[in-house]
Amino acid sequence: MTDDVEAAPSAPTAARHLAPGDVGLVAPRDFVHAAPFTFRGGQVLPGVSLRYETYGELNAARDNAIVICHALSGDHHCAGWHSPSDRKAGWWNNLIGPGKAVDTRRFFVVCANVLGGCQGSTGPSSPSPASGQPYGAAFPPVTIPDMVRAQRLLLDHLGVAAVHAVIGGSMGGMLALQFAIEYPRLVRRVLAMATTGRESAQAIAFNEVGRQAIMQDPAWNRGDYALGEGPRVGLAIARMMAHITYLSDASMDRKFGRRKRRAAETEASAFDLQFEVEGYLRHQGQSFINRFDANSYLYITRALDQFDLEEASGSLEAAFAPVEAETLVVGFTSDWLFPPEQNRALALALLRAGKRASYAELATDLGHDSFLLESEELYALVRGFLDRAALPAP
Amino acid sequence: MEKRTVDMQIIGDWVEPGTRVLDLGCGPGDLLAYLMQTKGVAAVGVDLEFSRIAACVRRGVSAYQGDMTTLMRAFPERHFDRVICSRTVQELAEPKTVILEALRVGRALTVGFVNHGFWKNRVAMLLGGRKVRNQVYTTAWFESRPANPVTIADFEDFCAAHGIRVAHRVHLAGNWRDPCPLLPNLLAGYALYDLTRA
Repeated sequence: MTDDVEAAPSAPTAARHLAPGDVGLVAPRDFVHAAPFTFRGGQVLPGVSLRYETYGELNAARDNAIVICHALSGDHHCAGWHSPSDRKAGWWNNLIGPGKAVDTRRFFVVCANVLGGCQGSTGPSSPSPASGQPYGAAFPPVTIPDMVRAQRLLLDHLGVAAVHAVIGGSMGGMLALQFAIEYPRLVRRVLAMATTGRESAQAIAFNEVGRQAIMQDPAWNRGDYALGEGPRVGLAIARMMAHITYLSDASMDRKFGRRKRRAAETEASAFDLQFEVEGYLRHQGQSFINRFDANSYLYITRALDQFDLEEASGSLEAAFAPVEAETLVVGFTSDWLFPPEQNRALALALLRAGKRASYAELATDLGHDSFLLESEELYALVRGFLDRAALPAP
Repeated sequence: MEKRTVDMQIIGDWVEPGTRVLDLGCGPGDLLAYLMQTKGVAAVGVDLEFSRIAACVRRGVSAYQGDMTTLMRAFPERHFDRVICSRTVQELAEPKTVILEALRVGRALTVGFVNHGFWKNRVAMLLGGRKVRNQVYTTAWFESRPANPVTIADFEDFCAAHGIRVAHRVHLAGNWRDPCPLLPNLLAGYALYDLTRA
């Protein structure tokens, strides 16, 4: 997802974290699973840890948990503020908080950085216990089901007995669906937005260009680089390219048009920065390399490409056969990365499998990142889906 | 609202408990919520508008936002026990396609529609010479959705010509409550059909 396209306009006051409806100041925690963790591919790590945040309280019945799953470049910090001086709140702060669509007065919200990630959970940048050096390319290939299984361990650790809902957009939607498939008895609702049951050739192609940009950078060094170093140029280019796929022609045109940087005339070369959109993308690339690990980017994009519910079970219906949750899939008209058609296919397959599933489609022009949209319509939909007491299974 | 209730009861009478029902043009899910409560059906609705899907979701009715024909084509034969097309048929771009497709994915099809052959409509047209406006069709031509003013006779002809078996038919008088066995095309205000493939 993008960093700031849908972020709320910054309030002028320094006390934004005290705003009503906000979860306020939050702190991440680490869950350490000290036992061996076996990946889908058979490789074993002696232990894994997940960095996570929670908001709200687990109720006495321990059944009011809502699991938030982040997208490729997201993390566990989905609401609130880490410090009063933070420039931005958590990435889904508009959706999560007291009285918001995901109401932290009612629900115990859990969000963890995925396995294979680089924001505090075990991933390729974590030190290998054997050498003390980052795993790098020696990290086991990670899959969406691996990420989900790791998060299940966290939920057990937190004492969660039933998950009221798993919510995610993009890759987060894949995790949400996988949660319902893998743990049908645990998950009561799934809300998957702007997602897919398998990436199209185009989506895989974009990921491959990103990976090539990283791997062709000599600093990648086959994944062997020190922390804070590595293929910064390649990673920045990968991010710039991917970022375009999260937006839309219309939204980019509205935001930048053909506006030029004022300094353009004085630039030395014809290929220096001229258009505002170029400056924006360069900024996105530069800020990304300071917070993301190139190897994690390779591993997670590979996990996205490998995710294929149809192939895993023979058909989407067969994949969804174990699901007991009620599912809501939301597509966005301008999403050309995981277009409405792929979201619709999920809902239709669930219905063919005899499951309770709905499909709603929002008309937006913000592209793939529309799921982060500040939209009263979307909030009302989410609220309605979560608030209703669970119906007895048919 | 009272007319709506009569309609729902008759439609409900034809629905077997615990079966799988698809409602074409489900709106905010009133009928399906009623059928879920009274018959324990596994309900699916389809509608074009986001706000209606959101209303369905809020009350626990599964609903799909999109084109009803596209939706039905995604299902195998006889996936649903019953498809319901209540007060939707007159607004369809391709009613024949929808009805035949509904009879493919459903073992039975309920169609309910306002009879435009009802004498008051005829008189209004004859004397007024203008688009008929009544309790159901309240808007002027320029603010109305496109509609086929179908009559009972039209519908009977259609079923006969396409080998569709009418298992039950209910014709209601202008008050939509009393049965109207005599000259329904002239005297009935509302018609309900329970159809299967011949």
